[in-house]
Amino acid sequence: MLEISDLRKRFAGGPEAPEGKVALDGISFTVRPGEMYGFVGANGAGKTTTMRIVMGVLQADSGEVRWQGRPLGYDDRKRFGYMPEERGLYQKMKVAEQIEYFGRLQGLGTGEAKKAAADLIERLGLGERRNDAVQALSLGNQQRVQLAVALVHDPAVLVLDEPFSGLDPIAVDALAAVLQERCRGGVPVIFSSHQLELVERLCDSVGIVSAGRMVATGTVSELRAAESGTLRVVVRDATPGWADGLPGTVTIEGDRHILATTGADDQEILRRAMKAGHVEYFGAEQPSLTEIFKEAVA
Amino acid sequence: MNGLMLIARREIVTQLRTKAFVIGLLVTVLLVAAVSYAPKIMGGDSYTLGTVNSQQLPLERAAPDAEFEWRTFPDEEAAKQAVLAGDVDAALVDNARVLTDGEIDSQLGVLLQSVHREVKLGEAGVNIPPLQIQSVGADARYEGARAGIAVVLVLVLFMLIIGQITMVAMGVVEEKGSRIVEILLSSVRPWQLLAGKIFGLGVVGLINMTAILVVGLIATSVSGLSADFPPGMTGLVVGVLVWFVLGYVFFATLSAALASLVSRQEEVSTVLTPLTMTIMVTYFVSFYVVNNATGLLATVLSYVPPFSSMVMPVRMAATEVPLWQVGLSMVAMVVAASAVLALGAKVYSRAVLRTGARLKLTDVLRAK
Ligand SMILES: Nc1ncnc2c1ncn2[C@@H]1O[C@H](COP(=O)(O)OP(=O)(O)OP(=O)(O)O)[C@@H](O)[C@H]1O
Ligand SMILES: [Mg+2]
Repeated sequence: MLEISDLRKRFAGGPEAPEGKVALDGISFTVRPGEMYGFVGANGAGKTTTMRIVMGVLQADSGEVRWQGRPLGYDDRKRFGYMPEERGLYQKMKVAEQIEYFGRLQGLGTGEAKKAAADLIERLGLGERRNDAVQALSLGNQQRVQLAVALVHDPAVLVLDEPFSGLDPIAVDALAAVLQERCRGGVPVIFSSHQLELVERLCDSVGIVSAGRMVATGTVSELRAAESGTLRVVVRDATPGWADGLPGTVTIEGDRHILATTGADDQEILRRAMKAGHVEYFGAEQPSLTEIFKEAVA
Repeated sequence: MNGLMLIARREIVTQLRTKAFVIGLLVTVLLVAAVSYAPKIMGGDSYTLGTVNSQQLPLERAAPDAEFEWRTFPDEEAAKQAVLAGDVDAALVDNARVLTDGEIDSQLGVLLQSVHREVKLGEAGVNIPPLQIQSVGADARYEGARAGIAVVLVLVLFMLIIGQITMVAMGVVEEKGSRIVEILLSSVRPWQLLAGKIFGLGVVGLINMTAILVVGLIATSVSGLSADFPPGMTGLVVGVLVWFVLGYVFFATLSAALASLVSRQEEVSTVLTPLTMTIMVTYFVSFYVVNNATGLLATVLSYVPPFSSMVMPVRMAATEVPLWQVGLSMVAMVVAASAVLALGAKVYSRAVLRTGARLKLTDVLRAK
């Protein structure tokens, strides 16, 4: 279990902003084994800073990261897989060689590294490029190599900063499958993303950061429960003005009136809708993560 | 294999595979070989002489360094034509006269006269023992060879050190600028990364240096030049290798530390300027020492790191240096290199993750 508790970080300011900039103002969350944790937040919210602190690339001013009940140390981190926000690869090194090299650095033997690299190259669809220099690859393919580097040593924890950005839909599915497989193997996975539908689809838990604070964290259904859903009613050939006085908004599409509302008396609305015309659809819809997100950071 | 060795191996393999390395090595090796042959091609006097109805004089006995080629002409007229055409430098006629085109080369003139006289006296039964030459000054026999070796050595040391430390700096910035360090440092410690890089590129430098020395030794012995070498060449070669390593570690560490302050390749040469200036000064001083190897400046600087890393090998080549002096100077350099390593590792590990604008060395050192 990976526990992040009350991380705080202030960056020193330059001459024009001597007070500096508070990047993290108390970030806490927990990722359990086999849990996929989506880390979302607006630009500049503090996701990357948090992940860098977890990986020991940056020192927090205060707060702690614990792994399996103990403060996270250098030897534990060696077994983590990390994909930094700013991608870093040796541009002139060949794809397969590079993945093997990082595998070796992270403690694999020569044979193990070769095999792991070959597997990942296959899984991530890089087969034809294995002997090309990284600089000859398109951005998305470089991204796949970067992922392979993070995954090659069969890490105990995965920390991925925007792993899906820049990938085509096929690669997104391939990566999602790899991550889910690692997750099922008991590995905690944290990844940040701005693609909220993807986070909603893949993640067990989600954390929302805003301006360096956790504004929400929990499983997707927990977050949903905190929000009331939207009631949507579609009425055909309705008498105009039937919804006057009801909360929410009515949009008219051809001969259909669509009412979207929250927190109203649904039985009352149903009665009025049936009186007004032919009810085609009546249902309470779960809030999407996008809606939860917008609500939370507002 | 641990992190340090893996990093070093990558540097070595990457370097050895580049065209620049292969071509560079070939060019230096060819240059060294050419230099080893050059004195042979240019140096040594050689004369072509003609005879008409005369004996060839044993000139080579009197002038062992010079080469003589003899041609026989049927009559004086043919010899005269050959002299005028420049085919021969002079022609000996009837064991009595020498034909030349204008004034005779003074050395050749003296040679011909004295050898002729000796031959005639010998025929008359007079035997003159040659004068014994005895030097009361320093043994100056090898002065020329020593200076030549010193000049070549200092040039090779300078070029290799500058070349390799630039590689170190560019490698550091490549990893910092592209953020590869973020991944590397989550699996190896900063000092391992630094030491691995310095070690790996040092091995590449050592391969270069060894190739140059080996080719130099082989080529000079094939060309016959090594006959003029002073005794103790093995000691000198070993000494040069040790000095290369010491100088390289010192300068490469500083180079890595300075390079870790910047994030872009374009900034590398600016940030390295103080260091390259120091190496240039060391080089020029060593060059001066070649011809003043026993002077006060040479003696003093051959103990002062980092100057000693080039001045001492030059002194060793140019004159005879007692072993204890070499040892003392090496100890001083080892101490200095260790201090620089400690400082450099500190700067590097603090600066290498701080991408963006160029950092100030003082800020990095002051930060907690
Ligand atoms: N090295 C730094 N020096 C100064 N300020 C920094 C530094 N790194 C980050 N910050 C500041 O910290 C805050 C959090 O940045 P961070 O990169 O963690 O955001 P993020 O959530 O990853 O954003 P994005 O979605 O754009 O990647 C930002 O306001 C940023 O300006
Ligand atoms: Mg970020």
